[in-house]
Amino acid sequence: MNFSLTEEQKTLRESIVRFARNELNEDVVERDRTQTFRRDLWTKCGEMGILGLPIPEEYGGSGLDPFSTAIALEALGYGCGDAGLVFSISAHLLPCVVPIGMFGAEEQKRRLLPDLCGGKRIAANAMTGPGTGSDAFGMKKRAVRDGKGFRLTGTKMFCSNGPIADLAVVFAVTDPEKGYHGGITTFLVEKETEGFRASQKFEKMGLRTSPIGELVLENAFVSEDAVLGGVGGGAAVFAHSMDWERILLFATHVGTMERLLEKAVEYARTRTQFGQPIGKFQAVAHKIADMKVRLEAARLLVYRSAWKLGEKKSVSMDASITKLFVSESLLETALDTVQVLGGYGFMTEYEVERALRDAIGSTIYSGTSEMQRNIIARWLGL
Amino acid sequence: MDEGIKRTIKEYILKEFLPGERPDALGDSTPLVSGGILDSIATLKLVAFLEERYEIRLEAHEASAENLNTIEEIARRVQSKKG
Repeated sequence: MNFSLTEEQKTLRESIVRFARNELNEDVVERDRTQTFRRDLWTKCGEMGILGLPIPEEYGGSGLDPFSTAIALEALGYGCGDAGLVFSISAHLLPCVVPIGMFGAEEQKRRLLPDLCGGKRIAANAMTGPGTGSDAFGMKKRAVRDGKGFRLTGTKMFCSNGPIADLAVVFAVTDPEKGYHGGITTFLVEKETEGFRASQKFEKMGLRTSPIGELVLENAFVSEDAVLGGVGGGAAVFAHSMDWERILLFATHVGTMERLLEKAVEYARTRTQFGQPIGKFQAVAHKIADMKVRLEAARLLVYRSAWKLGEKKSVSMDASITKLFVSESLLETALDTVQVLGGYGFMTEYEVERALRDAIGSTIYSGTSEMQRNIIARWLGL
Repeated sequence: MDEGIKRTIKEYILKEFLPGERPDALGDSTPLVSGGILDSIATLKLVAFLEERYEIRLEAHEASAENLNTIEEIARRVQSKKG
């Protein structure tokens, strides 16, 4: 393992940081307040190649390996202060675009990926049912055979990008007898499908520029070519999606942690109390030193896991370790940044309180910290 | 059917998912998925083991109860993949 960045990776990082700073940070405080998603920024990200980073160029992507994708997403998290937009991009790319690239039939890839990578269409992953969450496969959504297709019925809660999605990656039970192993199928459901609609929109504590809502399927008919990864292949599609999400979404958080660290250092060096910069006080200095330690450890975990993704080895436990550590580190770093900035950190205009609100979700989405510990324990044979 | 494949799979399942269990309690036709021996994470571990050990790739729809419910079925799937 050699994690020295190549010249191409350095250029990639610099170009994404520059792009994000110049193009994506306008009016973030106001957009957060009003829960505004900016479609024009999404389009710019598509033009920049961010919405299809690891997808082969022949399908409209940027053709990056997973490690380079991690570098790019870390740069996005560092340069972009709109964590909601970064989250929406990740929710589109990692559990939707990537599985289509990985499991899709040639026709599906050619038909769907160019617009998804190019920013013309937005995808949402529809996994969580009203009575499910951590127990993801305790789902009630049903898909019943009907001639040359399936009829889907059920509700999907907490769909990131749901209210703005043109395409949903939907998991539904096709064979209740088999359950998880062979009884779940993944479907690609397009917005125009009769019986498919976005319903209730939710208001969130953080990531407020990323729309989230319910998706409802009422006897919606999809043809056989809407199946992704084969009938009964839903469990494997979900597992691979989670590997990518638990590593690469959390690469964006490494970038965020670096931005927060820089903010804390800058403030601690210039803010004086009792005749000296507050960074000279050990209580503050140690807090910031711990931020640095967490950042570097988190970065190494993300890099190693992303490298393993590229090696095509099983990465499920690595993904859970990465997700657990990075999310809890991000939360701690955001909280410490607020504390270092004191009263200023509590004010909206300093953009630190928002980082804390945005960070809180990270220990919940993609599987809670408790679920990650369960997974790690199971892999250890406990 | 290659008995060596069955033996390897059986040893792995005993070691990983049934520690302390008597080997004769696990037969070639013991139900693994429907019998609760293999849950979602155990299946991931088993698939990862099979792919690495036999240098094969199991597609998404192949990690199903039909293909993984008994040692007999797993061994048959591995053998067909190995060619």
